[in-house]
Amino acid sequence: MSESETENNMRNLLFAHHLENAFESLLSHRLRTLLTVLGVTIGVASVTAILSLTEGATKLVQDQVDQLSGNVGVIRSGAEITNEAESLTRTQTNYATATLTEDDLAALEELPHLEAIAPLMNIRTTLKSNDPGSTSKSHLVVGTTPDLAKINNLTLGSGQFMDEISNANAAVLGEQLSVDLFGTEQSIGKTFTIRDQTFTVIGVLNMTNQPVNFSSIDFDNSALISLESAKSFTQNIAQIQQINLRADSPSNITPMMQAAEEALLTTHKGERDFTVLASDAIAEPTSQLFRTLAALSTIIAGISLVVGGIGIMNIMLVSVAERTREIGIRKSVGASNRHIIWQYIIESLAISITGGVLGYLLGLFAAFLLGMVLPFTPQLSFEVAGIALGLALLTGVIFGLYPAIKAARKDPIMSLRQTH
Amino acid sequence: MAQTKNNTVIQLKDLKKRFGIGDAEHYALRGIDLTIKKGEFVAIMGPSGCGKTTLLNILGLLDRASDGEYLLDGRSVEDLSSHKQAAIRSKNIGIIFQNFNLVPRMSVIENVALPLTYKGMSKTKRLTRASEVLKAFHLSEREYYMPWQLSGGQTQRVAIARALVNEPSIILADEPTGNLDSKASHIIMEELSDLHAQGNTIIMVTHNPNLTAYASRVIHMADGRIESDTSQHKAPSAPVYGRPLGGKKPKADEETEDSSAPTTQPTDAVLESTKSIQPVRRSMAKTRVRVKKVKIKNVRKRDRK
Repeated sequence: MSESETENNMRNLLFAHHLENAFESLLSHRLRTLLTVLGVTIGVASVTAILSLTEGATKLVQDQVDQLSGNVGVIRSGAEITNEAESLTRTQTNYATATLTEDDLAALEELPHLEAIAPLMNIRTTLKSNDPGSTSKSHLVVGTTPDLAKINNLTLGSGQFMDEISNANAAVLGEQLSVDLFGTEQSIGKTFTIRDQTFTVIGVLNMTNQPVNFSSIDFDNSALISLESAKSFTQNIAQIQQINLRADSPSNITPMMQAAEEALLTTHKGERDFTVLASDAIAEPTSQLFRTLAALSTIIAGISLVVGGIGIMNIMLVSVAERTREIGIRKSVGASNRHIIWQYIIESLAISITGGVLGYLLGLFAAFLLGMVLPFTPQLSFEVAGIALGLALLTGVIFGLYPAIKAARKDPIMSLRQTH
Repeated sequence: MAQTKNNTVIQLKDLKKRFGIGDAEHYALRGIDLTIKKGEFVAIMGPSGCGKTTLLNILGLLDRASDGEYLLDGRSVEDLSSHKQAAIRSKNIGIIFQNFNLVPRMSVIENVALPLTYKGMSKTKRLTRASEVLKAFHLSEREYYMPWQLSGGQTQRVAIARALVNEPSIILADEPTGNLDSKASHIIMEELSDLHAQGNTIIMVTHNPNLTAYASRVIHMADGRIESDTSQHKAPSAPVYGRPLGGKKPKADEETEDSSAPTTQPTDAVLESTKSIQPVRRSMAKTRVRVKKVKIKNVRKRDRK
């Protein structure tokens, strides 16, 4: 008989013994075990909830891009952000430093296969209506061109979108903004002021319900005006944060965006102070931001997992102290240090894995509850399940190791002498 | 194996054990030379603090000697890793303690089966084997009792069963009757001498001089040394005929070796002690049977209730 085969066989049987032993000892202290499991459950649940909500948010943007049938590209002002921390700290409306100009826009209009192009010039400011009941709140005003409706699939509830011949002081409102300003979505013909300039509402958008999207604009809460009017707020120099482009077919988007990059490099004299993103990549900066946020919140949630782990260690140390004599007996009848270590590691793993499974389920439940109020639904993914259970496993090993080693190091003679 | 060559189970050469360092240095064992052969029943006597228990702990690989050599079954075990020592404890050594040391949260049969766990036996096999051994100790109807439901004598018999379950080559007993009354003590001693008669090697540490009568060899220790050893006067125990509970059948060459061993006349003192003890043993055997019957009756009564 081969040595390794019997060793293996022996290990399996011992594992079964340890497992049985672990459950027996854990069940003999039900309340204590339950509380320890609860610690891990809460930690894993918060990690699971955050991760699956993040996945949901990422998927939301992804779906929008997919909906636009993949023939949309964007150019953003500023160099591509590779540092995640920077993406968090950078302010959203840095129009004073926008690097895209009207010259760039003109250059891009010459691109082959271009179907539509729309600049986005974001100004965060307060809007005031003549309605006496309205309060002035900070809102986003977007200077753009008529093509935007085509690229971003914006539809109108009433009125019309701006066009080439529409008045310079015409504005299209998001539905929510219309309600906020005038108390009704039927606001056509009404006027409001932006920095003392009067604008007339010519159209109200349908509700999009997409606060998170690749244009980084919540259209429900913004006012769209022409680029010309927007320029009047910034000394007639366009500060374009983003240019949205649409190709005539999805297969042409990549070559078109390459051509756009070359054209911009010429107008910018070789300086790469802009970011060119096509189809799937559009979703990334937003989801990158979410990932960074998620990573931070996961770390915070992870702290509760650490607390759960400390609970495991605490209870395992108590358990080792209580069973000192048993350890001595086991050693005297032939258990080696390794056997004792495994016995205790398996016991702490039994706690942490149970906590992990319960925590994953609880986390999903919490995520779906939160998803009812949030604009996106949480995603079920194997990744999140893997991370949740992996973290639980890791917690069990890390926090179970010390008590297990402590148990194994006990001198059998001293242990046997101990009385309770 | 070396065991078949010359029957020697344990060989100690100048074994020393030191506790403490420097000024606090203290030798519990100051050089023990000892050879124990298969089938011997050795009683180690001596006053408190003479190093008996330390010696037994070292023999049971629960402790390591500071100096000297320890051959178990012809193999040096002093320098082995603790993992290998544990494997030897599991295979070759059965230990019986003064305070029984059963695991309180396990039933009798689980306690007896515990050593087999570390030999890698499946649960069914473990319990079957444990049940067999318990049957040999007339404890079958106590299998699913918890340790605290047993009397002292029964507990110790369970502990003996546990020590035997993995068919060890030596059985070490540290004051096995120290916590028992005289009646239970004699029952335990009867069990041990039965085991001895079946060919098991037993090393027992005791304070009680009466118990040495059951032993085939008595060693007196004092101050970390062996003071006297009856093996110089007395031949090793009677040849082994019965099948040991350990399951190994005595081999033919062992018998011939036993008979060829130098047979010296036992001293008067030993003769006298055996004379006086024989009737006692016989009467004790009877009591044991009677006691068992009574106990079984009691159990049945309880069951009926």
